[in-house]
Amino acid sequence: MSDSAAHSNSDEAWDDLMGQLAAQPKYQPQPFFYTRVQARLAAQSATPPILGWLRRPAYAVLLGALVLMLSGDGSALRPAVGVVHDNASPR
Amino acid sequence: MAQGLLTDTRLSPLPAADAALVAQLQQGSEVAFRTLVARYQDRIYQTAFSLLRSAEEAEDVAQEVFVEVYQTIGRFRGEAALSTWLYRLATSRALKNRQRARAKKRFAFFTSLLGFNNETLHEPPDHGHPQALLEGQQQLQLLLAHIARLPDQQQVAFTLRHEQELSYEEIAAVLETTVSAVESLLFRARQTLRKHVNPLLRHV
Repeated sequence: MSDSAAHSNSDEAWDDLMGQLAAQPKYQPQPFFYTRVQARLAAQSATPPILGWLRRPAYAVLLGALVLMLSGDGSALRPAVGVVHDNASPR
Repeated sequence: MAQGLLTDTRLSPLPAADAALVAQLQQGSEVAFRTLVARYQDRIYQTAFSLLRSAEEAEDVAQEVFVEVYQTIGRFRGEAALSTWLYRLATSRALKNRQRARAKKRFAFFTSLLGFNNETLHEPPDHGHPQALLEGQQQLQLLLAHIARLPDQQQVAFTLRHEQELSYEEIAAVLETTVSAVESLLFRARQTLRKHVNPLLRHV
């Protein structure tokens, strides 16, 4: 088979395949799609944004770490302040 | 992504029918929203399905697209066709979903290697149409498998061209690029697919 004949066959086969791709059945969402969209909208508006944000594990862990860190600082600093104060006070 | 469209001036102006619909949507009309969903749901679902090949995921993406439209329509200035915006939302969300699914799969594989769980790893279900599973459709099936492996931009361009039958200009608007860039994406996609699908199709 010559090069040009092979080329022509190849193009025909490709076009045929593209035809099959285009001729695939057109899929559609299940009935009552609009109702499901409405339900999703309602569910999203019922959830305060901060709760949605907290549902992400990374943010929740970060927030937890921040709370621990801040609460830890307070208890760690208090004795130090006390020590300075005790040393500074005249006997 | 939606923000990008709202400030883009390269895109075609809003057709009259869509302009009226957008105006009603911006006034909070539920009838207009219902009309929008009815008008575009099939195209958006089909686009998502073409990229994900899963009915469940396509439904999820299509729902997310319309929810986002409802929530951000107030900022839509009509500098692009409504369909362009919808296609852009659908393709970007579908790709994001796929990346998330792949990351989840990699994580599951990693944890299974370390013995953290005993979950069985499985491929996502194949929801290909039964027609595609017939003996004579093997090549089509092979083609679909290779389309799924194309780089994201090439896959979107190829799908919008050959399954949604969008023009090069429309694809360029969806991808926020030029027509020549779309031509290049499609050329490379066809070259890859012809190489893999059948030796007879190798000549580009």
